[in-house]
Amino acid sequence: MTRRKAAFAITCLLLTAALCLLVARSVHLPGGLGEPQYIRELASRTGALNLVASIYLDGRLYDTIFELIVFSVAVLGVRFYLSERRPSHRPAPIPESHVVRASAEALFPFLLLLGIYLAAYGHLSPGGGFAGGTVAASGLMLCSIAIGADAVARRIHRPSLERLEWALPLTIISLAIVPVLLGRPPLAALFPPRGGGGIFSSGSILLYNLLIGIKVFIGSWVVVHGFIEHRGEI
Amino acid sequence: MSYSPSGIDAAIALLGIGILVLALRRDLILKLLGLGLINSSTILFLVSIRFTPDAAIPILPVRDAGIVADPLPQAVVLSAIVINFAILALALVFVMILVERYHTTDSERIESEVAAEQGGEG
Repeated sequence: MTRRKAAFAITCLLLTAALCLLVARSVHLPGGLGEPQYIRELASRTGALNLVASIYLDGRLYDTIFELIVFSVAVLGVRFYLSERRPSHRPAPIPESHVVRASAEALFPFLLLLGIYLAAYGHLSPGGGFAGGTVAASGLMLCSIAIGADAVARRIHRPSLERLEWALPLTIISLAIVPVLLGRPPLAALFPPRGGGGIFSSGSILLYNLLIGIKVFIGSWVVVHGFIEHRGEI
Repeated sequence: MSYSPSGIDAAIALLGIGILVLALRRDLILKLLGLGLINSSTILFLVSIRFTPDAAIPILPVRDAGIVADPLPQAVVLSAIVINFAILALALVFVMILVERYHTTDSERIESEVAAEQGGEG
């Protein structure tokens, strides 16, 4: 049984390696051509200084929307399967010292602010909605390590959190569809880009970044809180 | 604009190690780690097919008029990271459910216990 499995694995490995080597060696990658042409066109079309943001929120916007749907479905799955089975015996949380608790509570607003900044300036500097949401959620996780996840969860109104969690992807999807209904090209910005490098310079990329940031913030918190609720505190 | 052959070779090697761990290890958590290795190899591959030495970061305005790095693989890597997080969270929940029911992370023992349960029912 085990030997057959090993033979199967090694065959799989050899086939994959052969395929990869074949692809990597046969595809001719251009060298020394300078930068691709689309970079400058993209920058002038979207008005965003961060070219990565202008790709994943303009040129490949539908890809990002599907990525967000996969994230939402995973969060839904985690919540569904964890809420079905309640923990039988949950280890008691270990109380942290006053210094850790006070400093975590003091740090949380700044981490939240940093997350909002990263999401809001994602089209001008490194960052974006995903990074900003993760930073803000890590601040919440710091609080839940220090003062306990239940204490943090009591401060959050759960029904409105759940409503917001599903309203945000729907808003993002409808924002992507509205330009089509208005007769514009499907991937064009809903609000026309102004250019110039200000915070409102890139039209709807700012809006998408903020909405994705809030969505990732809520989703990460739901996943982490689900695990803590089920398996106990760290 | 060029690419990094050593990066591509390292990505293929990582992919091989990940597949071996996924197929040969019996522990479910180690299988998830193998899946993480495969994901890392994908990211390394995407980055190294468009690796340009001494390129500027793809944020305008570019100083000293150098070559800008291709932003497309970076945007794709972002998707890969988010999807990996989603898959890992969901897979960990399934492992937790299996561990609660069968009290082991050994996939072969879980398989034999499932077979015994089905034989008992039939």
